[in-house]
Amino acid sequence: MANRVIAWIDQRFPLSAFIKNELTDYPTPRNLSYWWNFGFLAGFMLVLQIVSGVFLAMHYKPDVSLAFDSVQHIMREVNYGWLLRYMHAVGASAFFIVIYIHMARTLYYGSFRAPRELMWWSGQALLLLLMATAFMGYLLPWGQMSYWGAQVITSLFRATPWVGDHLVLWLRGDYVVGDATLNRFFALHYLVPFFIVGMVLIHLVALHHVKSSNPSGINLAAKDNIPFHPYFTAKDFFGLGVFLIVFCGFVFFKPEFFMEPVNNVPANPLQTPAHIEPEWYFLPFYAILRAIPDKLGGVVAMVLSIMIFAAMPYLDRSKLPGGARFRPIYRISFYIFIADVAVLSYVGAHPPGGVLAEVGRVATFLYFAVFLLLPLVSKKEEAWLRARGLPSELEALVAGEDDKAGGRR
Amino acid sequence: MKGLRAGLFILLCMTVQVVKAEAELADVDIPDTPEAVQRGAETAVNTCLACHNLKFLKYGDLSQLGFTDKQLDDLRSGKGLKETLKTDMDPTMLREGFGLLPPDLSLMAKAREGGPRYIYSLLTGFYQKADGSVDNHVFPGVKMPDVLNYSDAKDPAQRAAIEEQARDAAAFLAWAADPHAAERYQLGYYVLAYLAVLTLLLYLSKRRIWARLH
Repeated sequence: MANRVIAWIDQRFPLSAFIKNELTDYPTPRNLSYWWNFGFLAGFMLVLQIVSGVFLAMHYKPDVSLAFDSVQHIMREVNYGWLLRYMHAVGASAFFIVIYIHMARTLYYGSFRAPRELMWWSGQALLLLLMATAFMGYLLPWGQMSYWGAQVITSLFRATPWVGDHLVLWLRGDYVVGDATLNRFFALHYLVPFFIVGMVLIHLVALHHVKSSNPSGINLAAKDNIPFHPYFTAKDFFGLGVFLIVFCGFVFFKPEFFMEPVNNVPANPLQTPAHIEPEWYFLPFYAILRAIPDKLGGVVAMVLSIMIFAAMPYLDRSKLPGGARFRPIYRISFYIFIADVAVLSYVGAHPPGGVLAEVGRVATFLYFAVFLLLPLVSKKEEAWLRARGLPSELEALVAGEDDKAGGRR
Repeated sequence: MKGLRAGLFILLCMTVQVVKAEAELADVDIPDTPEAVQRGAETAVNTCLACHNLKFLKYGDLSQLGFTDKQLDDLRSGKGLKETLKTDMDPTMLREGFGLLPPDLSLMAKAREGGPRYIYSLLTGFYQKADGSVDNHVFPGVKMPDVLNYSDAKDPAQRAAIEEQARDAAAFLAWAADPHAAERYQLGYYVLAYLAVLTLLLYLSKRRIWARLH
């Protein structure tokens, strides 16, 4: 009976073929490390955020006089409302941790390089959508930091030449962040995740066309690919288990770790908190914003600092495969970049001024320098490595790649 | 907290962790025994509620703290079980007296850096200045009077008694800010135990499946 139903469907819709080609038999490089688990984890976080968010929306009220209290209603009266809300709030931070690791892996192993530019760019779009969703979601609890964070960030658009004031008014729906802002942020916070789902599908279609990259950085011969199921389903689920242990540790035992105490005070437009700071996942970019003395310049630098990732396929001129693994200079610049982002986060979390302002400026300069020097550095590095003689392992990989290219010609 | 959060990010990035020293709060252990929280509830209702609200709590919620019906009846002195914990003072009078409305205390234990330790430190932070006026170490210029008379108390036994009362009040407010904490921890242990076993099984099956490749 079941077979007949499936046969009936298969005649009209490629169900079995889809499952076979894209899931069970989908060829995956056998040498993927655990760093390749984070794409799956990001997908899991997206689902978890949408599901917990839909249930939260059933009890939340997007009205300035009710929003804060409705969150407390969820926390106190709704059955397991505290669990829903803590999963969603901790989930936002977990989502960014997973995405940042996913990006760092892509940068380290050079997975953004041809032919995966469209994966990288759809990933860039996903990052922007995720940031927009997180920013709007943070307004909803209507605490002091929600309010003042939104007030500061929306006012950045004032730096837009000519239309700045109109743009800010249009974004907020009012002269200050208020009821109109809260309502539209709620609507958009509910809407944008579904754009994310759509973009994830594009990301996945591109992935299944070009197939996964792998630590060696070259396309492996067919014999080095193994079916996704059961090998990577088993590996992804084990990774998910480890992730969930850490995630639930925070949800149940340190749920407010990522939260700002002052956000437990209801929004008060008449009282500015002593120190306004965005959520941790925006801190590096916030530090870059503040590092530039000019307002418009700061906003441009901040936008560039996020968008510059998209240029990576063109900035990296080296033809050597294997990402940072076989490229000592690229590896050093990768670690400099990671350390620099950490320094910027620290600077962004502290009040401006003094030594930290200088540190922030140097770190901002270094941030862009790592990207902008890459074309030169990667070319010189390749020339140097080839002159020095490639390691035999890499030589074999490059030769294999050349053979295949020759064979195709 | 700030340093810790940035620190987590930095840890992730495999470099040094930065821990920022907290403000000069008293280094005190806030108890979480039922007796302490009950005593704290009495202080809150009889003293804090003179001016403050705890609008997210109802008198009926206090029954979760293990009060007998008789004790609860004495505590709420005629207030209904569904009534929220609100001051009997007229808001306009409070505004005239203090220049502002005293903040709601339901979330106070989560709304300040240091949480319950902040509350304890504030309550025992009152001292007499040379000119006889009273100020507070933690919150200089605070509008709140020294309700527990800490700045007046000279006798060590009396000071210790007030400190205990402040600890209990902080313990109660910690519960009030997070009434599901005990339930959350209890469920959390089960969840983590379940996940640990599940993850172990997932690891073993992953290893067995991948063994086919060799």
